Amino acid sequence: MPDTAMPAIELRDVAASSGGYEILSGASVSFPEKAFSVIMGVAGSGKSTMLKVAAGLAVPDSGSVLFRGADMAQFSRKDESAMRATTGFVFQDAALWANTSILNNVSMPLRVHKPWMGESDVAEAVRLLLKRLGYDEGMAMRPAELSSGEQKLVSIARAVIHEPSLIFMDDPTSNLDEDAVERVFALFDDLRKQGRTVIVVANNSELAYRFADMIGVIKGGVMSIFGPYEETVARAESALSASLSRLKARGSRTKSVPEDMGSEMSQRGDV
Amino acid sequence: MIAEIGRSAKLKFASLLYGLGFFFNVLKETGRFFRKSQVGYDVLIKQILFTGYEALAVNAVMAIAIGGAINVIGSSLLPQFGQSQLMYTILIIVITRELGPLLTAFVITARSGTAIATELGTMVVNHEIEAYLSVGLNPISYLVVPRFIGVVVSMLVLTIYFNIFGLLGSFIVVQVIKPTPVAEYLGTLLSTLTVGDVASGLSKALVFGVIVSVVATYQGFSVNRASTEIPVAGIRAVGQSFIMIIIADVLVTLMQYA
Repeated sequence: MPDTAMPAIELRDVAASSGGYEILSGASVSFPEKAFSVIMGVAGSGKSTMLKVAAGLAVPDSGSVLFRGADMAQFSRKDESAMRATTGFVFQDAALWANTSILNNVSMPLRVHKPWMGESDVAEAVRLLLKRLGYDEGMAMRPAELSSGEQKLVSIARAVIHEPSLIFMDDPTSNLDEDAVERVFALFDDLRKQGRTVIVVANNSELAYRFADMIGVIKGGVMSIFGPYEETVARAESALSASLSRLKARGSRTKSVPEDMGSEMSQRGDV
Repeated sequence: MIAEIGRSAKLKFASLLYGLGFFFNVLKETGRFFRKSQVGYDVLIKQILFTGYEALAVNAVMAIAIGGAINVIGSSLLPQFGQSQLMYTILIIVITRELGPLLTAFVITARSGTAIATELGTMVVNHEIEAYLSVGLNPISYLVVPRFIGVVVSMLVLTIYFNIFGLLGSFIVVQVIKPTPVAEYLGTLLSTLTVGDVASGLSKALVFGVIVSVVATYQGFSVNRASTEIPVAGIRAVGQSFIMIIIADVLVTLMQYA
């Protein structure tokens, strides 16, 4: 269940720009701990920028970003390192390191945050995770040799290999075929069961429908609506977001979820 | 008009301050680099191999040719003024103090300066720098410092190589013009060579190495988002490095002879 006592990430009146264009203009939102939060919005609305600002990968022009109650702008190197040890980030375009192998790409968080792990343990952990995600190419290959879907799977593996408690994902199902999407969704199931906090930018309404505890829409540079899934979707208007309207049209998850998902929803406390 | 000049000057000043801040950040992170176990050692070794080892052949050929050329010119000119004994002094001053560090810096700028700037620029465009941040690696300590140390170390080592090969080239020419026993050639050369000559060349090599590495990494990181900015960063890295190296050469020489 979401823990609202202390937000995992809180944005307070954040403004951010890129290339001279204002993208976020006074956005405020609190992403609860142990919740699966989904951010939606039309292309160019600032979803990725908000995710990067929330993850401390982009510096806001004004406003503040709090990571578990602490202002990121005041972070020492030690604070930042501690934060990175407990977070992972999936980039929209995978952003794999082109000049090194898939093994080195995925294992980097382990080498940085768990330096005591031996080489063989690291390689085994990487192999198991990639296998689970359905990646069956060689670990010595370079990113350029992979398809965009495979690159995305590797990017997801890199973000979760060190078992972070908070994971940011920017459109994690883009470029994936249906089988791969299902394997990624199975991973999401596990992340939920383990009580991880996940903040996802999604263009895939199925992802929102199946996993969102919290859902929000960015419009006009601010988070125009954000709250618990059922409540937020129920009061969605088509003028605000076509995605939310589509989710509203699907009805309550408690009624329309297929039978084989019933047990999962029970564990989530949704039924 | 005046307002425009003022704005431009203000921008240049801000850019200079930013560059200085970048430089001091690199120095600070370099201090940390050796204090803690780093995943950046891989990058450092690769940089030394690329900048130092792989440039050895071109540097050696250039040094041998220049050493030989100095000897040919000196052997025909100096006797006309009755100053044949200055041959070794001129050879040492030109090779060790001046051309060794200067030409080595030009070779490193052309090979490694452009490579570093374009590689880092490509990484910025492909969001690889953000990916390093996301896993907790500081781009300065992981990407810049190993390149900084690698280029400076390579610069020092290649300058020493240049000196050795330059003097060797001269020896080969001496054997053609006026065959001289190795012991005599080396004896005269070493008695003429002073610690000051070696220190002068190495101090220039150190300064030039710092310039090439800091300018190249700074230009690489100055790329924002478009791939068309990448070759521009490479060109700027070469142009700025050449100008700064020549200015630094004049300043260091003035300090040594003042």
